[in-house]
Amino acid sequence: MFDSVEDVQQRFKNARYIASRRISTVVYLSERMGRPVLIEGPAGVGKTELAKTLADITNRPLIRLQCYEGLDEGKALYEWKYAKQLLYTQLLKDRIGELIADAPSLPDAVARIAGQDDAFFSFRFLSQRPLLSAIQSDQPVVLLIDEIDKAEPEFEAFLLEVLSDFQVSVPELGTVKAKHVPLVVLTSNNARELSDGLKRRCLHLFIDFPAPAEELEIIRLKVPEIPAKLASAVVAAVQKIRALELRKPPSVSESLDWARSLVILNAQALDAALVESTLTMLVKYEKDLERVKGALDKVLAP
Amino acid sequence: MDERILEFIGDLRRAELRISPSEALDALAASAEVGLIDRETFKATLAATLVKESRDLETFDRIFNLYFLDLQALGEGIKKALGPEDARVQDLLDRLVDEDGLELDDLTELLMRGEGSEMEMAIRAGGQNAGLERLMYFLQVGYFSRKIQDKFDWSTIERDIEKIMRMLEAKGLDPGQLARIRNYLELRLEAFNRMIRQHVERELERRAYRQGEKLTREVLSDKPLFALTPDEVAQMKNVVARLARKIKDALALRQRQEQRGRLDARRTIRRSLSYGGVPMEVFLKRRHREKPKLITICDVSDSVRNASRFMLQLVWSLQECFSRVRSFVFVSEIAEVTQAFATYPVERGIEWALKAAPVDYHCRSDFGFAFSRFANTELESLDRKTTILMLGDARNNYNDPQAWALRLIRERVKGIIWLNPEGQWGWGIGDSVMPMYAPSCDLVRECRTIGQLGEVVDNLVHHWWRRGR
Repeated sequence: MFDSVEDVQQRFKNARYIASRRISTVVYLSERMGRPVLIEGPAGVGKTELAKTLADITNRPLIRLQCYEGLDEGKALYEWKYAKQLLYTQLLKDRIGELIADAPSLPDAVARIAGQDDAFFSFRFLSQRPLLSAIQSDQPVVLLIDEIDKAEPEFEAFLLEVLSDFQVSVPELGTVKAKHVPLVVLTSNNARELSDGLKRRCLHLFIDFPAPAEELEIIRLKVPEIPAKLASAVVAAVQKIRALELRKPPSVSESLDWARSLVILNAQALDAALVESTLTMLVKYEKDLERVKGALDKVLAP
Repeated sequence: MDERILEFIGDLRRAELRISPSEALDALAASAEVGLIDRETFKATLAATLVKESRDLETFDRIFNLYFLDLQALGEGIKKALGPEDARVQDLLDRLVDEDGLELDDLTELLMRGEGSEMEMAIRAGGQNAGLERLMYFLQVGYFSRKIQDKFDWSTIERDIEKIMRMLEAKGLDPGQLARIRNYLELRLEAFNRMIRQHVERELERRAYRQGEKLTREVLSDKPLFALTPDEVAQMKNVVARLARKIKDALALRQRQEQRGRLDARRTIRRSLSYGGVPMEVFLKRRHREKPKLITICDVSDSVRNASRFMLQLVWSLQECFSRVRSFVFVSEIAEVTQAFATYPVERGIEWALKAAPVDYHCRSDFGFAFSRFANTELESLDRKTTILMLGDARNNYNDPQAWALRLIRERVKGIIWLNPEGQWGWGIGDSVMPMYAPSCDLVRECRTIGQLGEVVDNLVHHWWRRGR
């Protein structure tokens, strides 16, 4: 699918995603080795976006599984449609009656019904959740398992099983094996230590806040209408704000939002009043806001 | 190259990175996939397959740079050392070999015409059985460099150089040119020798790093808390953060496990309606578990300054993890610092608690007075859900211990846990009044080292809150 690491980098760039050498290498390896990628890093540096772009450039559909506390197999893998099964048995009461009408004994009748198991435990009555649909899909897909750290450790163990063989066993149906090995991307915000097993299974990628030059490139690419001078001023200011000890330092997504709002306001350069009035785009906590406002002259210093 | 990578992995392991055999195999397979042409790519490949904790990346970077040197930079370094003459003389030498049938020893060939990377390989091969594993001090660098140099047959090289010079002379070059060429060849020899020395020095650094890294990790967790340097305190911060997370994980697990209980008839029947009255899904009543309520009281007098800096770090993390934590500090006067800890980041919060809290820092610590004040002002706000975490050495400077105050507090709360940064052998000796307070406490632990603190925290989680007292 990819010819080389450079090819990955170029294709990401064409899809308007600046992938560093490190990122491209890991994506390339993941595809070549059929390994999931585990991406860690602060919120808003483009972890989820990476998976979306990957789906985009490989022309594969994206299947997303958002993790949360309490997520279990039923919601991630598959569930029987009990209500539908029940309804069908009700509707088919007569046919079932016919089937066992001439059975000589009770065990015989049970055996006949058991023989019809397949009718009620088939894919027709299975509602597929993201993991199963990723495995079952006829065309290769990109599977994004978002914020895996939010799910419980038990779920992780279960996921490990799925990710190591790309197969799932449904007791009534047997083992479902993946037709194509999906490209799997897991993201984590490090709210919890992930298990060693899962980490061992994955290629690990840590994405940090980008370096100034990289961030400038991202802003220029994503907000092309921004004046060059303003873009560099935005990057310089954001970098300085990150250096302040904030509860939640602004991420790339925030600096993009800020750049966009500055463009809408038709700004040509940053000044104290402008920054103060648009600061909420960048900093999300009241206390952080005060801190930045207090250090505004430092932030804007050339 | 595989061997080289495996050796590198061995070094990472010695620096306490956990790398499993399957990860090592991954690294080999992956590096075969991308090749070695681009250093950055190669590095990213190894990092992705071997390093699974972002905090280990820094260690990885350092060891990687010691291990896989930047050949391109090296080659350029040599070029610079040789000056602009390089290309022309090189040309001349190439012509001599190709056209005039000059025969040179392999080694001379390498030294005179080789690339940086080939020279590096030769040096590495030479160093293989030079006993480099005994290299430990900087003073040995010279000795080992010599030893590697001795592996090469210098007389052959000199003979070859003479041969080259004679051939050039026969070609009718003037003495000026000849001198320049001889100079060039000598420069190359010198560069080679310098590379040998660099190789040995890097090897030393690698070894020192291995040892050092292991030492810090081992010693840190056994080092008394009051003897930590600022740098070590910074490293400790990570450990405390991990401990705090452990507590949180354990609590969350417990809360989930408690989701079994009695049948919730109302919800079960409600849901059964969608299955025609058949209770397909059963719901259980969730028992609500109280959130732990925690009060920490920390001694910040001069005698335990460093220990309390560390304890306060724990307190700050606890406060961040749990919603219902109140923190107090005292010398003899006692003051609440909950608000400050909630407002300031950890460093500043601790500085504030150690310097600017409304207590008199210049008097001697007086546990008795602090407890009686606490009992007077806070007794009303205590209840059976509260656990008190005491952090102090119980050295009361011969003041009245007022143990009744602690008894009184104990009666109102779920329990008192006392962590003492002083060794158990010292309790009760001199002005230590630990034995007088101990009966009022549910748990008294010596907590001198980070290792002990880890044990205590595990204990707290497993026995204290789990037992649900």
